[in-house]
Amino acid sequence: MQKIATRHFDQENPQRLENYLKDKGYEAARKALTQMAPAQVGEEVKKANLRGLGGAGFPTGTKWGFIPAANPKPRYLVVNGDEGEPGTFKDKYIFELDPHALLEGIIITCFAIGSHKAYVYIRGEYVKSIATVRAAIEEAKAKGFLGKGIMGTSFDLDVIVHPGAGAYICGEESALLNSLEGHKGFPRIKPPFPAVVGLFGCPTVINNVETLACVGPIILNGGEWFAKLGCEKNGGNRIFCVSGHVNKPGIYELPNGTPLREIIYQHAGGIRGGRQLKAVIPGGISAPILTANEIDVKMDFDSLKAAGTMAGSGGIIVMDDTTDMVWAAMVAARFFAHESCGQCSPCREGSGWVYRNIKRIYEGHGRSVDLKNLPGIINNIGGNTICAFGDAVTMSIGSYVKKFRGEFEAYINRSSDLEYAKSNH
Amino acid sequence: MQELLPQLDKIVSQYEQKQAALLPVLHVVQEHKGLISPETEQEVAAYLGIPVVHVHEVVSFYHLFHQKPKGKCHFAVCQTTSCALLGAQEVIDHIRTRLGIEPGETTPDGKFSLSVVECLGACEIAPMMQCNKEYKGFLNKKKVDELIDQNS
Amino acid sequence: MPKVTIDGKEIEVPAGTTVIQAADKAGIPIPRYCYHPALPVAGNCRICMVEIEKQPKQQIACNTVVTDGMVVKTNSPKAVEARQAVLEFLLVNHPVDCPVCDQAGECKLQDYYMEYGKYNSRLVDVKVKKTKKAFSIGPTVMLDQERCVLCTRCVRFADNITKTSEFGVFNRGDHSELDLYPGKQLDNKYSGNVVDICPVGALTDKDFRFKCRVWYLEQTKSVCPGCSMGCNITVEWDKSRPHQDKKARVMRLKPRHNPEVNQHWISDEGRYNYHFIDENRILFPQRKVVAIEWDQAITAIAEAIGPLQKSGRMDRVGIIVSTQLTNEDIFAIRKLFKDALKVPNIGFKVPEKPGYADDFLLKADKNPNTAGAAAILTDAVGGDEIIQKARQGGLDVLYVFGRDLVKLYGKETVEQIAKSVKLFVYQGSNVNDTCAYAHIVLPGAVYAEKDGTFTNCQGRVQRIWPAFPPLGEAKWDWKIVSMLAGQLGVPIDFKNSEDVFKAIAAGVGAFSEMTYAKLGDQGMVLKK
Repeated sequence: MQKIATRHFDQENPQRLENYLKDKGYEAARKALTQMAPAQVGEEVKKANLRGLGGAGFPTGTKWGFIPAANPKPRYLVVNGDEGEPGTFKDKYIFELDPHALLEGIIITCFAIGSHKAYVYIRGEYVKSIATVRAAIEEAKAKGFLGKGIMGTSFDLDVIVHPGAGAYICGEESALLNSLEGHKGFPRIKPPFPAVVGLFGCPTVINNVETLACVGPIILNGGEWFAKLGCEKNGGNRIFCVSGHVNKPGIYELPNGTPLREIIYQHAGGIRGGRQLKAVIPGGISAPILTANEIDVKMDFDSLKAAGTMAGSGGIIVMDDTTDMVWAAMVAARFFAHESCGQCSPCREGSGWVYRNIKRIYEGHGRSVDLKNLPGIINNIGGNTICAFGDAVTMSIGSYVKKFRGEFEAYINRSSDLEYAKSNH
Repeated sequence: MQELLPQLDKIVSQYEQKQAALLPVLHVVQEHKGLISPETEQEVAAYLGIPVVHVHEVVSFYHLFHQKPKGKCHFAVCQTTSCALLGAQEVIDHIRTRLGIEPGETTPDGKFSLSVVECLGACEIAPMMQCNKEYKGFLNKKKVDELIDQNS
Repeated sequence: MPKVTIDGKEIEVPAGTTVIQAADKAGIPIPRYCYHPALPVAGNCRICMVEIEKQPKQQIACNTVVTDGMVVKTNSPKAVEARQAVLEFLLVNHPVDCPVCDQAGECKLQDYYMEYGKYNSRLVDVKVKKTKKAFSIGPTVMLDQERCVLCTRCVRFADNITKTSEFGVFNRGDHSELDLYPGKQLDNKYSGNVVDICPVGALTDKDFRFKCRVWYLEQTKSVCPGCSMGCNITVEWDKSRPHQDKKARVMRLKPRHNPEVNQHWISDEGRYNYHFIDENRILFPQRKVVAIEWDQAITAIAEAIGPLQKSGRMDRVGIIVSTQLTNEDIFAIRKLFKDALKVPNIGFKVPEKPGYADDFLLKADKNPNTAGAAAILTDAVGGDEIIQKARQGGLDVLYVFGRDLVKLYGKETVEQIAKSVKLFVYQGSNVNDTCAYAHIVLPGAVYAEKDGTFTNCQGRVQRIWPAFPPLGEAKWDWKIVSMLAGQLGVPIDFKNSEDVFKAIAAGVGAFSEMTYAKLGDQGMVLKK
């Protein structure tokens, strides 16, 4: 299998420009800037079936096309490096080990969309990533790969690293824009969409780090080449992040469409301690959980959607049979309650309520009416919120309650409150 | 904040609007002073030309900004799913026992502070924490003891 | 212009209109917390959800622009379900404060809950506690963070209307709290407006706190007399519970929407200036300090003016008119004293210090009807001239309407006047220092008791309606003038204020073709 995003990771000091240049470094950018028109670049990326690897899986070439041609305002590229989706840790490696691949992807993308300024939003906790990317930018500027007149062409580009400050919601693209503008990370109501009114009111494309790191190889080897590597409608490879109860947690670059079972048992070494698999989160905490019987699914956006879950960020969290699923639901609900930005009513009040409700069940004070009410309460959040965070709460927590209902029932049957307060319900 | 102005001016020049420099400016100031005090909020507000209430909103919203000093060694332990599956609670409880502080607190001698956070993007080394700026993974009681002893 | 159908009703609206604006225009109610027509759209409360044909998910009406042919259902099962979900979430952490909350009876949580609510609470868990409850945030407003539904109307008001940015929402998730910057106060000159726009009892008015349950309040449209801006108001009063608030009738004032004058707002100066309606009133006619009957008082004045009338010495009469009087009051004064009696000394300009003014709603002229007086009393002389004459013994009768001469000219001058003129009449609504020097004091009504009009600084003639009869034995000022006219043999036969206004429209060019009906409740501008 041909490695793309991780191809330099095993090298010595791959983050240094001198080493990046040894493997066709910046040749794709040179090709785009000197031999192609911006529209051609977009076409190639469309042909590649490159889809957003931050979580939404939106076709990247199509997204670039939303920039309104007639709009005279400056365009911006914003790189989403907030990597906050639990189970996900791939962009960190790109930042630390191949920042120039990211920069090259940024250059080509900015050329395609007509942008002369890109901001790389990196979550504030990634201290090493921030320093590494900043150093790479200085190296690139010094050698004429960034700044005025890149590589002798008339194309100018500035890339600026912008640190986040500890809020998962800033991974939502419109919240990221608000955060970049110096506000709280509140997602924006849409319309208008970022492609028309984005950063500083200007047309903006927001792309994930890994997505951009694929752009260079696509231009160098062609969109068709990339498309063939993956599966139908989901081209190329992606970096899967495996963690939890496996023997070999880590990043695994594999073609889109690789079976989940293969990833868990073949690549990640199977379940630790010789135990049995119980459940898997296939695409970051927002993705509905799968039971051990449901892992014969291909890891691409469309297959996972058909299976009632999502490919999301590629964060695979594996749970073995020692896992208490009510406890796991509580941990997930707690995450959402802590990270809700609080802007809109259903998510703000709902995420906290759902967490307190499940916590109460876990702590042994559940009531029989809880299982009657909880699914409805959870369902009321998604679909009524400003952003997909609300949908994530509904889909994610809802899946624990649905697929492991028996464990919830068991907790409630053991509840110390069961014999009391019966007349209330 | 005077002494930081050259650095801050450079940051502000990178953005179309001054307010956009707020997060990086707050990071620099917090790095320098150890915390964001109300005086700092007012200075930053004046410097960027924005109402101070909106600076305070930002400081209270983002977890990396703090208004009380942290310990010299700050442990931010992750409690989200992957770390939780691999024993985050034991790590947290062990720190609480050894240092005698709860999450959100600092030891009286100012050497250590503890907070419990959500996913730090390092699930492959779970259970893990961020110790000041560095990620420390594959934690267990022994490793925690080592870290505490190293920083005592 | 796009046509949209809402609940089966088709209306045409200008391009760019949102669904909620179109629904408001069509008179179809859609619930809302965060939406306010004068503030930027926030879209965070999520209660204005409607179902739009051809769109799979319910949408918020406040941010959806109408397209031609759009079909909207505000009460479809999907829309109602979404609404109930939002209501349930808002009530999860809301304290059940209704019995002690001033907002009860005009609370949007109560109202929507009664209309759409699920009624049976599913909440078993504990409510989230916030830091500040019943907390004073300034001279006029109380904050209760637990009641707050975080609609951010107050934040947007302070950022966009007063541009003073006092409010912020701190922290995140369900620990979000509305507050001021620590240590700051809400004391800009328009702070009371945040209480109006707060849909729940999170921001309440200190002046109104615990005073009266709103369902006892009656409402009468009027215009604030505090300055020449003439902000439109509603006087909210109650006479059925006299044990409250020292028998006061008026409990509070609220701004009334007039896009040409004050939009949705009023200054604190205007809002809290109503206590004089019930406090410190002149309640009966007096000769010196002794209460007398109306006919005694009017006769005494007629007996002083009558001989001067006969001997053609009306130059010995001086009239000081207050620009706090209505157009009708001032016209009656003109009809009697200028047109009929030909008194040359009628004036309304006095040395009043200009008050605080800004570029929003506060004007330096703290009188509601200066423009009216100027339009009706053409050929007016300066008040100073009249006072001078009175001091020097040049007047036999000085008739002062509503001006506190002691405040304007000093005690000594007024003492001298009281000695120099044969009859010093003071006609006004509230007790002041001048009353003690007047030979006859006549009780006039306040604006809230009058049917009439004021003319504001834009030249806009606006109606005021009477909430209740004048207190005690007070009468409308133009009616008092009519009584005196009768005794002086001058026929002034107005049946009601509208009659007076008809005469103004006929007799004063600037008012021509105006009628009460045409004035409506938003007013009309004087002709040039």
